Amino acid sequence: MSDKAKIRITINGVVHEREAPPRMLLVDYIRDVVGLKGTRYGCDTSNCGSCTIVMDGRSAKSCTFLAVQADGREVTTIEGLAEGSALNPLQAAFQEAHALQCGFCTSGMVMSAHALLAHNPAPSVEEIREGIIGNLCRCTGYVPVIEAVQAAARRLDPKGGTP
Amino acid sequence: MSAAPRPPLVGTPVPRKEDPDILRGQARYTFDIELPDMLHVAVYRSPAAHARIRGVDLSKALALPGVVTGLTGAQVRRLGYVNPLSPFPFQSRDPFRRGNPTIKFFDHYCLAWDKVRFVGEPVAAVVATDRYIAEDALDLIEVELDPLPPVVDSAAALEPGSERLYEDWDDNVMLTFRVSGGDVDAAFKEADVIVRETIHSGRFTGTPIETRAVVADYDASVKTLSLWSTTQIGHAIGTLVENTIALPGLKVHVNFRRIGGGYGQKWAFYPEEILVPLLSILTNRPMKWVETRREHMTGTIHAREQTHHIEAAVRRDGTILGVKDRIVANIGAAYPTGGLASIVTTGMFVPGAYRIANYEGQVQGVVTNKTPYGAHRGFGKSEACFVIERMVDRIAANLDLDPVELRRRNFVPPDAFPYRSVTGPRYDSGRYEEALDKALGLLDVDHWRAAQREAAAEGRYLGIGTCLVIEPSSSTRMGSYNAGYYSVRMRMDPNGKVYVFPGGSDEGQGHATSISQLVGDELQVSFDDVMVVEGDSLACPYGSGSYSSRFSVVGTTAVTLAARALREKATQIASVMLRHPPGGLVFAGGQVSVEGRPAEAVSLSEIARVAYFYPFQLPEGMDPGLETLYHFRDPNIEFEADERGRVAMFSSFPYDAEAAVVEVEADTGLLKILKFVSVHDCGNMLNPLIVRGQHVGALAHGFGGALYEELPYSKEGQPMAATFKDYFLPTAMEMPEMVLEHIETPNPFTPGGFKGAGETGTVGPPAVLANAVEDALKPLGIAVRRLPLTPQYLWSLIQEAQGGR
Ligand code: FES
Ligand code: FES
Repeated sequence: MSDKAKIRITINGVVHEREAPPRMLLVDYIRDVVGLKGTRYGCDTSNCGSCTIVMDGRSAKSCTFLAVQADGREVTTIEGLAEGSALNPLQAAFQEAHALQCGFCTSGMVMSAHALLAHNPAPSVEEIREGIIGNLCRCTGYVPVIEAVQAAARRLDPKGGTP
Repeated sequence: MSAAPRPPLVGTPVPRKEDPDILRGQARYTFDIELPDMLHVAVYRSPAAHARIRGVDLSKALALPGVVTGLTGAQVRRLGYVNPLSPFPFQSRDPFRRGNPTIKFFDHYCLAWDKVRFVGEPVAAVVATDRYIAEDALDLIEVELDPLPPVVDSAAALEPGSERLYEDWDDNVMLTFRVSGGDVDAAFKEADVIVRETIHSGRFTGTPIETRAVVADYDASVKTLSLWSTTQIGHAIGTLVENTIALPGLKVHVNFRRIGGGYGQKWAFYPEEILVPLLSILTNRPMKWVETRREHMTGTIHAREQTHHIEAAVRRDGTILGVKDRIVANIGAAYPTGGLASIVTTGMFVPGAYRIANYEGQVQGVVTNKTPYGAHRGFGKSEACFVIERMVDRIAANLDLDPVELRRRNFVPPDAFPYRSVTGPRYDSGRYEEALDKALGLLDVDHWRAAQREAAAEGRYLGIGTCLVIEPSSSTRMGSYNAGYYSVRMRMDPNGKVYVFPGGSDEGQGHATSISQLVGDELQVSFDDVMVVEGDSLACPYGSGSYSSRFSVVGTTAVTLAARALREKATQIASVMLRHPPGGLVFAGGQVSVEGRPAEAVSLSEIARVAYFYPFQLPEGMDPGLETLYHFRDPNIEFEADERGRVAMFSSFPYDAEAAVVEVEADTGLLKILKFVSVHDCGNMLNPLIVRGQHVGALAHGFGGALYEELPYSKEGQPMAATFKDYFLPTAMEMPEMVLEHIETPNPFTPGGFKGAGETGTVGPPAVLANAVEDALKPLGIAVRRLPLTPQYLWSLIQEAQGGR
């Protein structure tokens, strides 16, 4: 497995062109080759969602892609959300609603919510539940996460928001 | 500057200071650690439940380019300086010094060498330059196994002729424990009715989203082993590693700063905590091992599997006179976990929230060829409460009484606290009936009883369930690592910032925030000026770890009292600086001032600078510096069990009254929760935001165990749920709408009045939902005797009741 492929991915607006084995998973490329450790993994069957990123505008589980499949594409990871040192409105809402405890699932959870709000600025509770169905959290019981996404939706789009 | 104390932080919903780093993706967990020249470990695990190891051949694996080394169990034993894994948490064969419990031990090594005893047991390891290559190499390892008959079922394991897991034991019983109080025989003679049940609680577990990981870096030049481990018991792990790797002069430094959820599963001593350090010592290079989810499901502890043969002696009016319970726990292989302690705990708490004067519990921990059994949020109490809460409803059904009435009649009443239970523990405080009434009010029982009648008329099955569960927290056991104290070091530095070094660890509970609230109030410093350093075995005082919700009971108390000690010393120094007696000084707003003369003030940093830099100005006999080490010993526990096994080994008693309405679909067995109410009492709330988060999260574990989560095995001992594809955690879709309320009955034994807050939620849902299901299916005369309440199980009960159809 010594042969390597040249893989070019734009991550959080920065172009990364690195060599990696063709069988390398995207999550490992992001974590170990590029060194952005904020994206995590917690399973081997694409069930937990800890590895969720946004790729070309849609949420994606980075453990289900090979890095080569992401060649030429645009990726946003958790590190790409905050504006400088300030949390963005979604991140701030997570803190205010206590939507994270151990934080291990949080990067993936936030990225799923981020992708949801990008497509549906005023999701209903049911739509929020569906939006994070692929993200397992063992700490929060999801209720505060749903509240955080509602609060963020209201803040981002005061006219929209959910009942 | 105003010298008035500012509004307290304690008791308010302060958002957590831990969160911004996590939310920005900056937080680092064990598997994120990168060290120069690091190698990667993969572990070959037994594919068989029970077999003798004939040979392990690594030669093909070692020939793979990129593979650096490997290790087998036989090689570990030949090293000469590696001992078997020492027992945990009991360090003694006779922890209560009464010959009760009796415990057998077995010398497991970090890699199996003679036999394998469960699917997932580590057999060999390979080390490579990257994880992909290490995993490739696993496929090249050749292991020759001679199969032995698997022992899967606990009843079969107890049969006289059963295959034994450990040949030098005379049977498969690892632990036997008896506890009793009162006169059970007399109670059974006096009874009008005796109700007998066999109730089974299923095997499930905590599955933190962060799997386990171990990083080890041995530096031969200073004989220091730096170890990072996903553990709730970092200090104990350091000691256990020293016991196990007996290299003279070895220094061990354990780092466990940020753990991605524990829930008890990281409260054990795991073979990889020896294996990975050994590989680092053997190669003199840093090593990393990250557990895969599949490994986690078989190599990391399971919990809860118990069968209770329970009998209750009752009067016709519903008074419970006495209870006998024979408890058989299927504890898998005999590994160093908290499993034994958890089943002893079950035996202690079967009486639950009820004034039961006569009780006898017998506990057997039976080894089988399953994954070892250990701690899981709710630790033994969940099983006990499930059984007694089921039993109360079964008794009510037998006597044709309302289960709520039966509960009322038998509750420990509010004026009986502190209440000495029949098994020894001293329940600190509680208002059980009031909590249950509140839950029933929030549920609106009358409305739902009417709805139930209407549904029945349409042939639908609606049911109402109730329960009142206790979750004894802050445990202690003599002869074990959980020894009932909590230590904290605290330093006010020359800038007036306060550094706090607790002896515990954080798996997401928000200790830094809670500590900052406590210290902020006591020392009148800002929330942001409190710096918490936790999870470093050499920086922090020795501690038994994070479990049993002990931070909120003994941890907070140690922090508060340490802060008071610093405050006392700072006041004395200020008294010298201001030339004013300490009695007339005001400690507020980051300074100490003379009462009524706010201009005469010294700031905390000025005081601290005197303490550190001008020791000659200090009062006569006072030590320099502004730093203290405080040890708090839990006042509400005992160390010595009496001759009947009674001992006060938990110190605070949070509880939850729950009520639920469910509908069961007869054709499919599908259960729907229509309403769910919880009235939780964990004493005073340090941070209501965190308390609510802990409680909702705990309830989610409870729903999982009640409805979805199960770790079944085939007859051959093969695990049938080894991934998240076949082990179902609740997702956001499965969480019902919940009505959550709190009442606050302070813990009288601690200054803050707090009780454990994070576990009670796991305990109730199995009981309340099983009770509701039984109520729903009452027209069919169905009794619920096991968990989880899957559609398959409920469907089969309905089919059976309807005569198969
Ligand atoms: S790591 Fe679990 S879904 Fe990607
Ligand atoms: S916050 Fe711990 S798993 Fe979600």
